[in-house]
Amino acid sequence: MQANRQRNSTGTGERGATRRGPLGRLAGAVAAATIAPLLALTVMATPALGGGRALRIDGSTSIYPLMTQLAQAWHNSTHEPTPHVGQGTSDVGINEVAHGRVDIGDASRDPEEGDPEHLVFTKIARDGVCMITNPSNKLANLSQEEVQAIFTGHVREWSEVPGATVSGPIDLVDRISSSGTQDAFQNIFLGPTLKISPSAEAEESNGLVQNKVRHDSDAIGFVSFHFTPGTNPVGYQGIACTLRNAKSGQYLGVRNFWMVTKGIPKGAAKRFILWITSSHNATARRIISSNWIPIH
Amino acid sequence: MSGRSGDWRTEWALRAAAAALLGVIALVFVTVLVEAWPSFAHNGIHWFLPGGEPDQEFKAMITGPQDPAHAIWTFHAWPLIWATILTTGFAVLIALPTAILAAIFIVELAPYPVRRLAEPTIQLLAGVPSVVYGLLGILVLAPWLEATFISQGRKRSVAYVVQLTGANLTLAALILAVMITPIMIALTVSALQTVPRAWTEGSSALGVNRWRTIRRVSLRAVRPAILGATVLATGRALGEAIMLNMVAGSRSFAPNPLDGTTFFFEPVQPMAAAIVRYIEAISVPTVRHTLYALGAVVLVSTAFLSLASWAVKQPLKRYAARA
Repeated sequence: MQANRQRNSTGTGERGATRRGPLGRLAGAVAAATIAPLLALTVMATPALGGGRALRIDGSTSIYPLMTQLAQAWHNSTHEPTPHVGQGTSDVGINEVAHGRVDIGDASRDPEEGDPEHLVFTKIARDGVCMITNPSNKLANLSQEEVQAIFTGHVREWSEVPGATVSGPIDLVDRISSSGTQDAFQNIFLGPTLKISPSAEAEESNGLVQNKVRHDSDAIGFVSFHFTPGTNPVGYQGIACTLRNAKSGQYLGVRNFWMVTKGIPKGAAKRFILWITSSHNATARRIISSNWIPIH
Repeated sequence: MSGRSGDWRTEWALRAAAAALLGVIALVFVTVLVEAWPSFAHNGIHWFLPGGEPDQEFKAMITGPQDPAHAIWTFHAWPLIWATILTTGFAVLIALPTAILAAIFIVELAPYPVRRLAEPTIQLLAGVPSVVYGLLGILVLAPWLEATFISQGRKRSVAYVVQLTGANLTLAALILAVMITPIMIALTVSALQTVPRAWTEGSSALGVNRWRTIRRVSLRAVRPAILGATVLATGRALGEAIMLNMVAGSRSFAPNPLDGTTFFFEPVQPMAAAIVRYIEAISVPTVRHTLYALGAVVLVSTAFLSLASWAVKQPLKRYAARA
């Protein structure tokens, strides 16, 4: 028996203890050599996650394209970490900032009664809301009565709408309930009592509304001005929905963009908001003027 | 000599890993059920019954009062449950015969070059991420479906209740079927390959023709494996969230069979897709508990499915090939 037991350098000894041979020692050294730098990197990265961490911003899908450009421009000019921007819709952004889950919330609707307390809304821009139809439906204009009749579901056929170049049932495209654009559309175009027809399909973002209207010749929806390419924007009360008309105040479908903080903005959030709203900042003003309306 | 075996450390490490895994599964169940309980408690049995539309009910939760005393809890999940049953049911109905026939072809009838090509292709298809199927569905198949099957007359017939688009029950069931068929084919093929040749050759020797042999001997022998494949595929279909959120339609509507063929083109929203749709609003407490409740129903259904399949398999094992 004793003769048969092999005693190699990495085998087991008598009591089940292992003795490491040269190969085992090498493996251990390599493992230690890879783990130590990783630990060091993690320790070094912690200050970046601690005091100098990036801002977290979430909210309106309408503000999202503007906010991502502003965030990048702020990082380029001040070298602060680029803020992370999400687009969970306005109500979600407001809820998250009230609970401290994000630093800044983006709201594309005005403050309402049901909003959480101690929130400070800072206006950063204004934005046009356009109604859009498929490019094959060259509808040029809708009056307020026509808009209300269509979106509340009283008129269901394009043949009953003067100016429409398609004939078919009207496909209404709405937004989900947490959307700020939907609130703004409701307030500006429909008024306090009328509601959008519940049989309309509800899309989760401006981009999805734009995609749907592009592919469906019977569709009509409403989006932030930035999302009108590829569709036919419909005029309101005789005024075309263009950036120039929105800036001049002739087009009535204009709403505010707000950045929301819990209490007065502090720290990096305060620096970012001041950078955007400063009247001396040509970069921010240029970005806002490209598709939105600057406030000064 | 020591009383323990030489590699007792390995044994204990493996035992610890298995216990940890069981512990994690138990933790998941407990967390989901505990978080889901308030939604069930406030609604009772009505949580499962028809009576309201989930989209409108979520809207009421998000825009209503947020303080615990006045928060809105009302929820009727029946349209979501019905949608899940329909999409999963139709998908399995399409996938099962397709998978069985394809597996029979690959194992029994295909020439060797075709078989060599088929097996890696099926494994490739089984590995395609579901979100890719969703993109193809919403960008390519949905407009085609709308142009071909949804005429204006059909749209007008239900216009007062719901809007018909290309993203509907048919598209969801089709893409779900395409997703689960490769798994079922792969499992059925490996099961058919374990049928002892003595059985099939003996059947031929007795004068039974080929198709009958396949049906009465091979398929009968792999019934437990086919059942296992179906359960796996159904479990995957139950949990499919992101892809269904993209292609099933933008409204939580319960399709009405009395609508005739229009029933197949109505929008649906299965439970997992509803969770994805409203996940952004999870900071609202009532929405959070309701989403967990939906998750609990999906979790319990999948567990129940596994249990039921084990129970059904037992009598089938009498004639099965020992895999």
